[in-house]
Amino acid sequence: MFTRTDDKISTRQTAIFITDSVLGAGILTLPRSVIETAQTPDVWLSVIVGGFIVLMVALVMVKLSQQFPNHTVYQYAKRIVGTIPGGMLSVCLIIYFIVIAGFEVRVFAEVTMYYLLEGTPIWAIVIPFIWVGAYICLGGINSIARVFQIIFPISILILVLSYFLSIRLFDIDNLRPVLSEGLLPVFKGLKSSVLVFTGCEVIMILVAHMQHPERAVKATFAGIGIPFVLYLMTIVVVIGGMSIDSVMNSTWPTIDLLRSFEIAGLIFERFEFPFLVIWMMQLFCNFTSFYYNASLGISQVFGVRLLPVIFGLIPAIFITALLPERINEVFKLGDTIGRMGIAIFFLVPVLLSVIFLFRKKVLKQHV
Amino acid sequence: MITLWTFITSNLPDWKMCAQALISMMIAIGIYFFNKYLRLIVAKKNAPIQKKENGDEHPAKSNLSVDYDENLNAIKQVISSNSDVHFREFQITDIQARATLIFVDGMQNEELISEHVMKILMSDTEKDITGINPLALSAYLLENVLPVCEAYEAADLRDLNQSVLKGCTALLIEGMPSALLIHASNMKSRAINEPSSEALLRGPRIGFTEVLSENTSMLRRQGFSDDLEINRYEVGARIKRKLVIAYMKEIVNQDLLQEVRDRIEKINIDFVAESGYVEQLIEDDYLSPFQQTQNTERPDRVINSLLEGRIAILLDGTPFALIVPVTFGMLLQSPEDYYDRWLPGTFLRMLRFFAAFLALMAPALYISFISFHPGLIPTELAITIIETRQGVPFPSLIEVLILEISIEILREAGIRLPKPIGPAMGIVGGLIIGEAAVQAGIVSPFLVIVVAVTAISSFSIPVYSAGITLRILRFGGMLCAAVLGMFGTILFFLFICGHLSKLKSFGVPYVTPLSPVRFSDWKDLFVRAPLPLMKKRPKMMKTQDKNRLS
Repeated sequence: MFTRTDDKISTRQTAIFITDSVLGAGILTLPRSVIETAQTPDVWLSVIVGGFIVLMVALVMVKLSQQFPNHTVYQYAKRIVGTIPGGMLSVCLIIYFIVIAGFEVRVFAEVTMYYLLEGTPIWAIVIPFIWVGAYICLGGINSIARVFQIIFPISILILVLSYFLSIRLFDIDNLRPVLSEGLLPVFKGLKSSVLVFTGCEVIMILVAHMQHPERAVKATFAGIGIPFVLYLMTIVVVIGGMSIDSVMNSTWPTIDLLRSFEIAGLIFERFEFPFLVIWMMQLFCNFTSFYYNASLGISQVFGVRLLPVIFGLIPAIFITALLPERINEVFKLGDTIGRMGIAIFFLVPVLLSVIFLFRKKVLKQHV
Repeated sequence: MITLWTFITSNLPDWKMCAQALISMMIAIGIYFFNKYLRLIVAKKNAPIQKKENGDEHPAKSNLSVDYDENLNAIKQVISSNSDVHFREFQITDIQARATLIFVDGMQNEELISEHVMKILMSDTEKDITGINPLALSAYLLENVLPVCEAYEAADLRDLNQSVLKGCTALLIEGMPSALLIHASNMKSRAINEPSSEALLRGPRIGFTEVLSENTSMLRRQGFSDDLEINRYEVGARIKRKLVIAYMKEIVNQDLLQEVRDRIEKINIDFVAESGYVEQLIEDDYLSPFQQTQNTERPDRVINSLLEGRIAILLDGTPFALIVPVTFGMLLQSPEDYYDRWLPGTFLRMLRFFAAFLALMAPALYISFISFHPGLIPTELAITIIETRQGVPFPSLIEVLILEISIEILREAGIRLPKPIGPAMGIVGGLIIGEAAVQAGIVSPFLVIVVAVTAISSFSIPVYSAGITLRILRFGGMLCAAVLGMFGTILFFLFICGHLSKLKSFGVPYVTPLSPVRFSDWKDLFVRAPLPLMKKRPKMMKTQDKNRLS
């Protein structure tokens, strides 16, 4: 057929999909949250270690998903552990996705209200945002992947450019001394640094939609590698440019960093504006990815059509986004998501893999 | 999990939030069903009506008889009520038989008929043909007497009438049970001009005309290839028109070809007046602001597209050919890009992409910066702009709308104006209104710059209809910016991205090669790579023959 009717995405699209699911709010929140827990400039080590841990778990997810071609985690979880436990796991995953989508919207709205639209009622920001997300989700995974592909190069270019320009503030002394307090704070920081990689759970769904599932490992490496590098850049640039003390006192350190220098001779003296624009687009991608994956999950677990689910999730996400009343509660929600994320992150793939292997190797069952 | 639960219970949503949530869902569902309804009514209307298969439509064939008067009367009965059908009766000297020439005034070739038909038949050649059987007379005339290239025999009365109305000249001879049709129509057509909608500095100066046969011959004359195939169709229920599709048979994707054929066969309308009708009847999504076929007057553009694996649709009676499928990149390409060297071509392409962005976004960005985020532009610039805006009594949206709408009116008026007045009116309209509006304090001078740049940018787009699309969307962007500032503008941009990535033209994603990414096709997107590098045909067309160089 000339027209592609199957819902398949290419390897490159998968990599971008994963990147766009992982790279989101963390660009703004990572430096502060990780420094608050670790209290040393060594947190970049936490990001590196965290990245590797996440990559390992992601590989487990891929390997597991590859055992069930054309099946998403919602479908194969039932086959591995039975309908009801599998369904419960899937529901956990779905709730997790919905909450994280709501969290993304809320962070988005907070940043928008703080920097761009002071005094605008929050629903006026949240509702159109969800609508556009729903519009794109209605097109299915293919059109989501295509939108990501359009936005991805723009955002990466501006992100790297902004960081590059902020090098002028970079002071290597802010990152020193290395490991002055030993390795313990580094591991403490892991909690936050693993959190920024939440979202890579989508791999368990994407593998089923890949045109060449055998290349999923490659896509995962790229899809986690790109945000890994960007997060590492973020943390190094922000700490190097601001020192940990001022990072801890700022709500959105990355934006504050970009606000703190001016470039004469360009249209934009400060790079905060283009950065905000691409960050908003990136967050939108992030949100759309979770929105779609949650909808797909509900539709597959409960056997309903995708379309009413997408519409039904609009109020769910809206309420989740507006539940926290103050920004501190938003961050608290973020931490909760992190804990929940780590639980799901390890629980679902590892548990499923262990049971799968046990049934296959020990009980010699055909799953 | 437990912390999350306590968190949720301690923060139960109040009724206002729930109401907002429900309303937001209701509106979304409403929009969805409205959209679906709009599509449905058109899909229903456009569905091909099952043609009646009974004999009413094709009356039984009635052949001409041997009786000359009876034949003549039968023909006259049907078509002589048309005042432009002429009957010219004369005597054929050699066989002493009466004869009649039937033709439509203005469609016959006067010279050919009188020189090669009447003169020969009426002159006394002293040949002895009286012995010829009247039944074999027609064959004899065709073979031995009439020096006419296109002539054939017709025995069916209905065929005969139709052929006469189409422009053939019929010759009816006493005693002959059939008529001779002399295909000598001499339609007046205009001279081949340079296409006015797509003028180029460098490149052939030839454009399509209104006559289909001339247009197809122009395609053939681009160079010889036995690959070029031209298939004919007839469209229109009441008034039939010729339509051809042209493609390179060893390049084109067969599924695509079949899809185009199917869609053309589904065309069901009284009369296809222009290729725009065809375009609207075969397009994928009629609610999209973006065109899904490309129209062009240039044969060189058509032949280049055919070589990329696309298909051209040409209609009789219009100089505009359609090229399908179309992608977004094509709308910003001009044939000149290929004729010039690659560096200027690349430069112009990038310029056009930038211009398209400006044409779409500049007023929206202006509004969001001025009304919402003056702090985001450099302080000195912001102060300058705000100073010039001090006397302006309107919010920036109204200010922009005033100027944008007057520019649009001016542009529309410019098309109607007689040629000698046009430029003068442009100056009066553009310069004087702009200047006076600034002096009167209705708009700020900075806005005049923005609107002028926007207008010029939208003219720099090589495909006129694509320019209109961007102009319409610009107003949408302005509204979004007026409501939600930069956030609205970004949402608008994301929405357009979402729409474009869903849109397909004959199964080809509209924004490919940008998305889905096909890097090998990028050689002909933002840049125009040197010709030796463009060895492959566009991947997106999934052509049979992938290489341009043999």
